[in-house]
Amino acid sequence: MSTRETVVEAENLRKEYGPVVAVDDASFEIKGEEIFALLGPNGAGKTTAVEILECLRTPTSGTARVLGHDVTTEARAIKKRIGVVPQSFHTFDRLTVRENVALSRRMYSDGLGVEAVLEQLDLLEYADTAFESLSGGYQRRTGIAMALVSDPEVLFLDEPTTGLDPAARRTTWGQIERLTDLGTTVVLTTHYMEEVDALADRAALMVEGAIEAVDTVSALVEEYGGEVKLRVEADGEDAPVESVLRESATEVYHSEGDLVALFDDRGLAQDTFGRVDGLAGDHSIELTTAGMEEVFLRLAGGSVDERGEMA
Amino acid sequence: MRRTGALLLALSKDWLRNKEAVFFALLFPIILLVIFSTVFAGGSAEFTVYVQNNDIENGEPTALSEALVESLNETDALTVRELDADRNVSTWAREDDSRGSKRVLVIPDGFAHNVQASAGQARIDVTQSTVSQFQDRLNDSDRARIERGLDRAGGNNSTVAGAEVTLLTASDDEAAPAVRGVVDSVVSGFNDEAVGIEEPPSRVTTGNLSQTSLGSVDYYLPAFIAAVVMINGLITMTTVVAGFNSDGTLKRLVATPLRKRDWILANVIQQTLLALVVTGVMVLVAHLLFGVTAVPGPLSLSLIVLGALTFAGLGMVLGSFVEDADVATSLGNAIAFPMMFLAGVFWEIELMPDYLQTVAELLPLYHFHRGLRQLMILETTEGTMIPFAFLGASAVLSVGLAVAVTGWRDFGD
Repeated sequence: MSTRETVVEAENLRKEYGPVVAVDDASFEIKGEEIFALLGPNGAGKTTAVEILECLRTPTSGTARVLGHDVTTEARAIKKRIGVVPQSFHTFDRLTVRENVALSRRMYSDGLGVEAVLEQLDLLEYADTAFESLSGGYQRRTGIAMALVSDPEVLFLDEPTTGLDPAARRTTWGQIERLTDLGTTVVLTTHYMEEVDALADRAALMVEGAIEAVDTVSALVEEYGGEVKLRVEADGEDAPVESVLRESATEVYHSEGDLVALFDDRGLAQDTFGRVDGLAGDHSIELTTAGMEEVFLRLAGGSVDERGEMA
Repeated sequence: MRRTGALLLALSKDWLRNKEAVFFALLFPIILLVIFSTVFAGGSAEFTVYVQNNDIENGEPTALSEALVESLNETDALTVRELDADRNVSTWAREDDSRGSKRVLVIPDGFAHNVQASAGQARIDVTQSTVSQFQDRLNDSDRARIERGLDRAGGNNSTVAGAEVTLLTASDDEAAPAVRGVVDSVVSGFNDEAVGIEEPPSRVTTGNLSQTSLGSVDYYLPAFIAAVVMINGLITMTTVVAGFNSDGTLKRLVATPLRKRDWILANVIQQTLLALVVTGVMVLVAHLLFGVTAVPGPLSLSLIVLGALTFAGLGMVLGSFVEDADVATSLGNAIAFPMMFLAGVFWEIELMPDYLQTVAELLPLYHFHRGLRQLMILETTEGTMIPFAFLGASAVLSVGLAVAVTGWRDFGD
């Protein structure tokens, strides 16, 4: 699967639960070997959308193809080539990590070696530990191992770091990042903005079932992230600094004793940061760049708290 | 089959490591089998009866009343204790100073007199009846002489009342009918002796319908095998399936190339193997502790397989409708226990009202138990056609229903 080849195509996907529209006319594409994030608060329809792609749900209308196969009529062909870690992942409590991964391996004709996958995910130390005795982070990691052991072309991770502590979350991010080096396309859902910033190549923002925007993360930030701020601590002898700022900033002003410059272009702001850095001496300089949080704020009209609820 | 085998192995390992499941599926039934077979072993039941003898003459009980008490004492089924003649029976009955229910046989004042009078009258009545029956063999003079003799002995005295003893029992005394039967039998023998019958014209002897002598464990062994297979299917299977549904284990499996048929097959095979293991262990325990020699043959094992398929299929059907394992357990209990009692597994259904007997005959457990008892204990195929047909149809129906209702997409929609 080449990097630019489309592996997932969703067109006008719609899923209704009675009067509730969980996914509303969603269209997007996912390219090979990228990390694609579906970002949104709880109840936005992310899980429903990926479960349609995983052949676990039937769309009310619209079409979706994964690796060239239709999700409603060719489920088995798709399931042989994908890996899935559901949001509420669970497996046989009293089987060990190794036994659970081996069970998963036996579900597929081809795949990787169990020991190799355990090693790849740093699970060898816990290989003989019962699943029920693992911490949440290691349970989630076991889930990823069970999904990876089939050597999937597309790996779906539904909220892979929800409920994990910051250290476990960063470890999981590292492991997910390494997957693309192996040629795996990763589709993840999350409500963590920083997760998308840290991991995703491209992202789709979902709010109330609808996709508000889909693009590369940098393009989304560029388009919807708003201005980049450069704040320089002022001391009354800052005319050279102000002069440099005015050459490229759209606006320069004093705020609470500091000099603040606004930029439309993130690259220009970073260049200016380098030039000012040499003139400012010991004075502190802070470049505040926009991220997915600002993008989400702009598009959804609110932010998402730690638990995934709209604030 | 590779996937089915892998899943069967996983299910079996997971079950074997679940101490609670192993206890309730294997050890608990064995404990119950041992208790039931020991408690209801029979032959040693002995009931306590108090006797208040009010028939006193010159400060001593009369000889006839003493003879009755002695006859009661001679039976193995009764332990006779004395209750003073001056005790108020109602007050005594309220005193909670003994184990079990209180029973008292009251022998009234005048008992001996009434027995003698009515026994004499009975002899006269019998003689008169005998004379009437054989009058064609007597000449007129002999017949007249006999009739005069009988008249002198009081043959026309129809006012003689028989003696009455009263057995008082508590309304909640479950053993009262049995005690009453024993006392009736003793009084009947006492009456025979009183009228001079040494050899009664008829008597009851007991024997076995089957060629071998069966004990209570022989009755309970097939009952427990059938009940455990039913409980494992209806309660354990329901709980396991609902648990896998609710905690996401099933969804994770569904996302792999595993087919629905592999999932159902692995579960019903696991339950069938468990049923065969349970049977083996119970037969072994019954042999070691009680000397039972029943060895399940191919037909018994076939019936057990059909039973396991029936109840495992039903368990999968119930489990697929419930998303909470605790609710599933309650649902399984709510169906399994009434079925166990209604199906007459632990007692004969003849004890139940007619309409409940009809209900029992509609239950798969009833036919499962009956068939097993015929094949394993009575060692006959007589009467097993209906159990095989009923369970075969039930197995096909329940596994078919499991296939139909088990969702492989759209969980929770």
